[in-house]
Amino acid sequence: MAYEEPITDYDEIVENCTCAFCGCNCDDLDYLVKDGHVVGVRHACRLGASKIMEDMDQRLIVPMVRDDNGELKEVDWDTALDKAAEYIANSIRPVMYGWSETSTECMKEGLALGEYIGAVLDNQATICHGPSLQAVQNAGYPIQTLGEVQNRADVCVYSGSNAMNSHPRHLARYSVFCRGFFRSRGRFDRTVVTMDPKFTDTAKMSDKWIGFEQNGDYGFYNAIRAVLKGKELSQDVISGIPKEDIYELVEEMKNAEFGVLFFGLGLTHTLSKQRNIDIAIKMVQDLNKFSKWGLTPMRGHFNVNGFNIFMAFETGFPFGVDFARGYARYVLGETNTIDLLTRGEPDVFLVIAADPGAHFPNKANQHLAKIPVIQIDIHWGPSTELADVVLPGSFIGVECGGTSYRMDGVLIFMKKAIDKPETCRDDEWIVRELKERVMKLRKEPNVAPEYIPNPAAQ
Amino acid sequence: MKTITFKQKKTSSIALEFDELIPDEIYTWGESDFNKYEVPIGNSRFPLTDYFDIKVEGEAESPDEVKMIINGDLNRVKYIGCKMSGGEILCNSSVDLHVGAEMSGGTIIVDGNAAAHAGREMSGGYLEIKGNTKEFTGASYIGEWRGMTGGEIIVHGNAGKQCGECLSGGKITVLGNCDILAGIHMSKGVMEIQGDVNRWPGGQMKNGTIVINGKLGRLLEGFVFDEVVDNPDIEGKVYDGRFIKYTGDIGLNGKGTLLINADVNRDKLGEYGESDDEYTSIREYRNL
Amino acid sequence: MEYILKNGIVYDPANKVNGEKKDVMFKDGKIVEKVSSDAKVLDVTDKIVMPAGVDPHSHVAGPKLVVGRLYRPEDSRKGVTQKTNLLRGESGFSIPSCPTTGYRYSRLGYGTVVEAAMPPLEAKHTHDEIATIPNIDIPALPLFGNNWFVLEFAREGKIDELAAFISAWLKISKGYGVKIVNPCGSEAWGWGMNVHGINDKAPYFDVTSKEVIRALAKANEKLGLPHSIHIHPNDLGHPGNVPTTLETFESVKDIDKNAAVRNQNLHCCHLQFHSYSGNSWKDASSGAEEVAKYVNKADNITCDVGQVTFDETTTMTADAPMEYDLFKLSGLKWVNKDIECETAAGIIPIIYSPKSPVNTLQWAIGLELFLHIDDPWKVCLTTDHPNAGPFIRYPRIISWLMSNERRMEMIDNEVHKWVHSRTTLPTLDREYDFYDIATITRAAPAKIHGFSDRGELTPGYNADIAVYDINPNDIDPSKEHELIEKKFGLTDYTIKDGEILVKDKEIVKVKESSTIWTNVKGYEEEEKAVIEGIMPFFNQYYSIKWENYPVHDHYLSNPIRVDVEASK
Ligand code: SF4
Ligand SMILES: [Zn+2]
Repeated sequence: MAYEEPITDYDEIVENCTCAFCGCNCDDLDYLVKDGHVVGVRHACRLGASKIMEDMDQRLIVPMVRDDNGELKEVDWDTALDKAAEYIANSIRPVMYGWSETSTECMKEGLALGEYIGAVLDNQATICHGPSLQAVQNAGYPIQTLGEVQNRADVCVYSGSNAMNSHPRHLARYSVFCRGFFRSRGRFDRTVVTMDPKFTDTAKMSDKWIGFEQNGDYGFYNAIRAVLKGKELSQDVISGIPKEDIYELVEEMKNAEFGVLFFGLGLTHTLSKQRNIDIAIKMVQDLNKFSKWGLTPMRGHFNVNGFNIFMAFETGFPFGVDFARGYARYVLGETNTIDLLTRGEPDVFLVIAADPGAHFPNKANQHLAKIPVIQIDIHWGPSTELADVVLPGSFIGVECGGTSYRMDGVLIFMKKAIDKPETCRDDEWIVRELKERVMKLRKEPNVAPEYIPNPAAQ
Repeated sequence: MKTITFKQKKTSSIALEFDELIPDEIYTWGESDFNKYEVPIGNSRFPLTDYFDIKVEGEAESPDEVKMIINGDLNRVKYIGCKMSGGEILCNSSVDLHVGAEMSGGTIIVDGNAAAHAGREMSGGYLEIKGNTKEFTGASYIGEWRGMTGGEIIVHGNAGKQCGECLSGGKITVLGNCDILAGIHMSKGVMEIQGDVNRWPGGQMKNGTIVINGKLGRLLEGFVFDEVVDNPDIEGKVYDGRFIKYTGDIGLNGKGTLLINADVNRDKLGEYGESDDEYTSIREYRNL
Repeated sequence: MEYILKNGIVYDPANKVNGEKKDVMFKDGKIVEKVSSDAKVLDVTDKIVMPAGVDPHSHVAGPKLVVGRLYRPEDSRKGVTQKTNLLRGESGFSIPSCPTTGYRYSRLGYGTVVEAAMPPLEAKHTHDEIATIPNIDIPALPLFGNNWFVLEFAREGKIDELAAFISAWLKISKGYGVKIVNPCGSEAWGWGMNVHGINDKAPYFDVTSKEVIRALAKANEKLGLPHSIHIHPNDLGHPGNVPTTLETFESVKDIDKNAAVRNQNLHCCHLQFHSYSGNSWKDASSGAEEVAKYVNKADNITCDVGQVTFDETTTMTADAPMEYDLFKLSGLKWVNKDIECETAAGIIPIIYSPKSPVNTLQWAIGLELFLHIDDPWKVCLTTDHPNAGPFIRYPRIISWLMSNERRMEMIDNEVHKWVHSRTTLPTLDREYDFYDIATITRAAPAKIHGFSDRGELTPGYNADIAVYDINPNDIDPSKEHELIEKKFGLTDYTIKDGEILVKDKEIVKVKESSTIWTNVKGYEEEEKAVIEGIMPFFNQYYSIKWENYPVHDHYLSNPIRVDVEASK
């Protein structure tokens, strides 16, 4: 890392801003503001700082609509919103995807629109921590807030998560290096274990690295559970790990005073998917018979957890909720964005603060190319190439305030520090406008008692 | 007896939902009722007759006296027979999601493949799929720890991942192969797999029986070798041949039974006695 | 707008109105003495008119609830209904979604529901959910019993500082009163341990549960808060916890209450879970008679029951170690949520079955408490929703209380035989009348919480009224228990702040809810000093910045501020 001169040329400092990048939601940032732009960020990691400062890079500034020649043309807000509303109002199987990088205030409007028109609302969990949520629904959820880890934890396990790269301040601020009330020497009072097939940066700074083989996670955790029950392992090597190492690890985990398992996409996206998490949760539950253990999924986007929490208290289901029939339906493998797109069902796709163009499988993107796509976002991205209507939003936590839920479920209010570009609008306003325009264009479908569905089939 | 024949006129890219068209609901319906009916598609409803011609013959006093024959390409028709309690449905094609889900009685026969979620949380009746199924056949819906509680599912082809998840009764028979984690979290009932299983059957199983007649890939550490049995009798059905019997999943003090064909899976025996001799000696020991 | 509810049969225990045929009038959201001739007449001839219900202890919003909803889709799936032009789709049975919760309470004729456990760190989240629940007012009780600052103050005996801390934290979290859950036990759970009895110490903090309870009670009375301390004692659900419960009661006996609006200085929630005799589940029996005897004698104690309803439901409490014990018994999916420096929580699904001896015992103990406690002003109807059963079962409990015949039918045919050998329930033939029911569901809870604007049909009070389609002179509750359950389940009218929300058994209006919070005046200086004192700790050991801690107005839906002049 090259040395960088400290920034001295700024007009004001805005303190205690919240980083809108990863699930850590660091709320201790200071923005250095000059001429209405953030020119420097203090306390943030490089990921967070670069996102906040490069806010004008590739920025979407004006609404655009794709014309008959397939070119995106700049238009005024009314034209763009009317066009988008028309697409939504005329759709039969609309999907509204994204939401993880916007505020829950905006989600509220989106949910109202989705419930009105009978859309599927889904977020990035469907491609990242969806399996974790499914596992939670099958096995339970022993968690704790991050301050609890800071103050008590003496064993931190990172499984399938390279936190050093994906959540750079996680170890420093919440789990490993920080001094806690009962861990006054910080790092020296804690043991760090990384479980990952790869020798990652996080593994490098750990006390122990368990490099189980790719896709071997389920078998590995199953063996740990068997050992916790006092069973002798019959195979010498399980999922690439010698059985002696497993015995040793189990002893270490049993002797922890307060242990935490952080897991990431490396665990959710291997062969047995949600069942990996399922059995990891069960393992943590077993460990509580010997000492205190908890876990936390390493959520990626800053408000991906917020959408799940918000949807759960509003509708009873965390993501992938289908309102097509006028009541909430949540069936994994049916009402999720990727499944719907690969089946070729959706006929309108609203994407807000997300980039399916970059993250979806090919087949899903092929279908997106065939249907109207409405994009609400702040940056130009692969999805803009797919979009038929582009609505430029504003940057939560910088240009407008809003609510976010951290990876451990703690609500953070992300405050506004600077003004948004004049031609942009707040996400919340855009979605509310869409909702109101759609309401004018189409009568609410699937309202009881006009169509009473088979009561047995609900 | 009432026979209702559906003849397809056109297909839809967005799935039709057939949950209201089950014998329990329609046994009193005549052709005119079908002509009035609008079928849910996405957030809207369209006349059923846009998609199917319907012929009704005979009369029915109860759902049990209904026979529905659905012809055409049903790859985008979901919830067929969902929650039905009686009668018969014949599908002359592959079908979409949730065929026979939560059914409590009656018969569904699918002459083709079934998409995911076939027969989920079934509590009775008979579901036969002549082709393959995808994941979650006979499983529970997410979050529920009590899955299929009764009835019978037969898959002639292969079954996808997590077949029989949380099985709590009834029987699932797969004549082909099964993907990973068959019978995971199972607590009662019988799963019979005639083909191969690649990995980890019976994970976190509490009780019940899984019989695997084909080749087993990886076995979980949670299963403990019990004995070798000849011609085991599982709930009245005798399986010919020698089977290795395991108990598991020990990780949660499970008492489930996993039987795998000993002849096909000799390598597994090696774990408990390298040679064939030792295998024989275990048998002889037992015969004493 | 003026209204007159005509010819109803009114039960208003606060005003000693017991089944009189009487008109009730209201204007601009308040009950009034008389209205003009323009008043709109609502004919409720021979129907029961009561103040709208007040639920003194329920769990409807907050971080626990949302985890419950998130991880129990199988429960959410149960209550799914289709949206209408007015209502959003509903979902859930034991843990309904926020809108559903509001609708269902409204249909039962309830107007106010106290959210009984709010971790201050998650107060913003709790208020975010409260704002999503329509039709009912929701005060929330912040958790103090395992808060590190409280433990320190209690150990040092710094009652003044503790009072200032409470006063500050009620403002910060926009809370209503002081909730204590398994004092010292949830902190011990931070290390996977628990405390037993009230003289056990929290690890490290070196303070006993009894010291914490006494300190908080003294601070509470010092401030003269409208509600007393609201306690969930130690050893919940453990056979042989009666002594702990009685010692908890006894521990505050000498502390004078300092609020005219209420009679008690300690409210014990879900007392049913705290009234078990014996040493283990093998020899467990009911301790209800003993506990009730104490309550009958003591003027300073009130309680709610936490009646088991024989349903599949979800237990959720800040008593996290107890939830882990339950998990070890049932093995069902277990949730734990530890909140830094403040509290912990646990959740687990549970199936209460009449065939189970333990569940039968719990069911009987609840009813015994209702029947043994003589003064209905000391006992409130709750199920500790959703812990012992969902709130939509209140009408069923009412039908049990009003009908000895129904109880005997269940005792003889439906429940486990332990009811005969281990409880006194079969010997109790007391039956509640409508006046008693009105007391335990509205008048008493309102009085206990110190509300001075609801729970009565007194002129000047909020026009929160429920009308049930029951003619008390024409029904025999002891025989027609099914009808009682049905009729109390769906009102003819639910009126909230003078607005008609339910009419002829259908919701006709959805209105935003309010939250109620207590604003102590006269402690500003002390509050500042206390906050300054703990700031270094906060900055070092909390994972969020101070600026992000308090609940700002953004998250408050129509707050109702209750001002209290603290007497020092
Ligand atoms: S760790 Fe995450 S939230 Fe914190 S500054 Fe870095 S990117 Fe932002
Ligand atoms: Zn409670």
